[in-house]
Amino acid sequence: MKRVEDHNIYILHTYPFKETSLIVEALSENFGRISLLAKGARRPRSLLRGYLQPFQMIQATWSNVSDLKTLYNVEWNSKYLGLKNQALICGFYMNELIMKLLPKDESSNVFFNFYHQQLEELSLNVGYESLLRLFELKLLEELGYKVNLDEDENGNPINPKKFYYYEAEYGASLPDVSTNGVKIIGQTLIDMHNNDYSHLNTLKQSKLLMRYLMRFYTGHDLVKSKELFLTNDR
Amino acid sequence: MSKVLNDLIESLKCLPGVGPKSATRMAYYLLQRDPDGAKNLANSILNSFKHLGKCKSCNNFCETAVCDLCSDNGRDNSVLCVIEMPTDLLMFEQTHSYNGLYYILMGRLSPLDGIGPKELAMNSLYERCKDENIKEVIIATNFTKEGDATSTFITELIKDLDKKISRIARGMPSGSEIEYTDTGTLAQAISERKNIN
Repeated sequence: MKRVEDHNIYILHTYPFKETSLIVEALSENFGRISLLAKGARRPRSLLRGYLQPFQMIQATWSNVSDLKTLYNVEWNSKYLGLKNQALICGFYMNELIMKLLPKDESSNVFFNFYHQQLEELSLNVGYESLLRLFELKLLEELGYKVNLDEDENGNPINPKKFYYYEAEYGASLPDVSTNGVKIIGQTLIDMHNNDYSHLNTLKQSKLLMRYLMRFYTGHDLVKSKELFLTNDR
Repeated sequence: MSKVLNDLIESLKCLPGVGPKSATRMAYYLLQRDPDGAKNLANSILNSFKHLGKCKSCNNFCETAVCDLCSDNGRDNSVLCVIEMPTDLLMFEQTHSYNGLYYILMGRLSPLDGIGPKELAMNSLYERCKDENIKEVIIATNFTKEGDATSTFITELIKDLDKKISRIARGMPSGSEIEYTDTGTLAQAISERKNIN
């Protein structure tokens, strides 16, 4: 029996299993998205209860006999993030996308480290929208769908002043080549490439583009977490 | 196995935590050992569906339009405590420390389980909070991330109603010793400490 000791994980979601147990969906540092069985975790006095919550890095020990791994122990090993308010809802949005799109048991620690960094930034309560756009782009990249932002379909550099049509799987093309997909100004694509969301128009247009791309890649599946944003449709 | 018996076992499986084995055991127990109990159970379930509705005021199950607790004049109708489940109401009542009214959500927002604002009928809560008598809304959803998200949502939802909005406190369980407290609780307690001078 293989045993993984003290490995960094983030809980994504938990489901009740039988009377007192939980199935834990987690993102692990080296093994990607994994499922763990936490026996007895729903008992009133279970010590696991307080630890098996999303948005807090923990160290887990589990045995690796089949597809479903059994969780033995968890330890608290990072500072308290305490995501609040809109940041918390952004966190749910990210977890929902990971659960929907990222296949199990395959991921790089690059993505784990990126997720970790995103949560730390979310906890600082600044600029949620740009963080979400960056997250969406990185997640698509992790899945092997590179969103090309610095050159058009034919490999020519993007002109900031020209309008393009961005189509999933193809990329940006000038209106005389194709008018499929989302209409977007070149400057937005360049700003997104440079991760610069300081312009209002970039924020607005990048949201439209990413909404279109996420809808394409989730197979038009509804992202439920979006309903929790009341003030502003992110 | 007879079809009727099989149906009974299948029906019992709808209970939480009851699988085929337990359902079979329950079915044989009811039929062999306690036929009267079984009849009572069947009648009670039918009766509940026939007579029970939701209280207009607190959303709890009751037989009348407004439940006893909500129509009790002795209660303070200026505070409304929003909770997840009817069992939470029983817990608060056991404290003998709260004399206001309640609103029961019958769940919590959990987008990854497909439960959003529509599924929880959040607009009924909004309507309830419009009541002029209510001066303070206490959010007492669970201290899970889903409970926190529900609390955030409600705060945003009712912020234009100009009521005092509060969240129940969290931290160390009473009578507990720091040495034996779980790290998560302790981290929250130190991060959300309060001034005492």
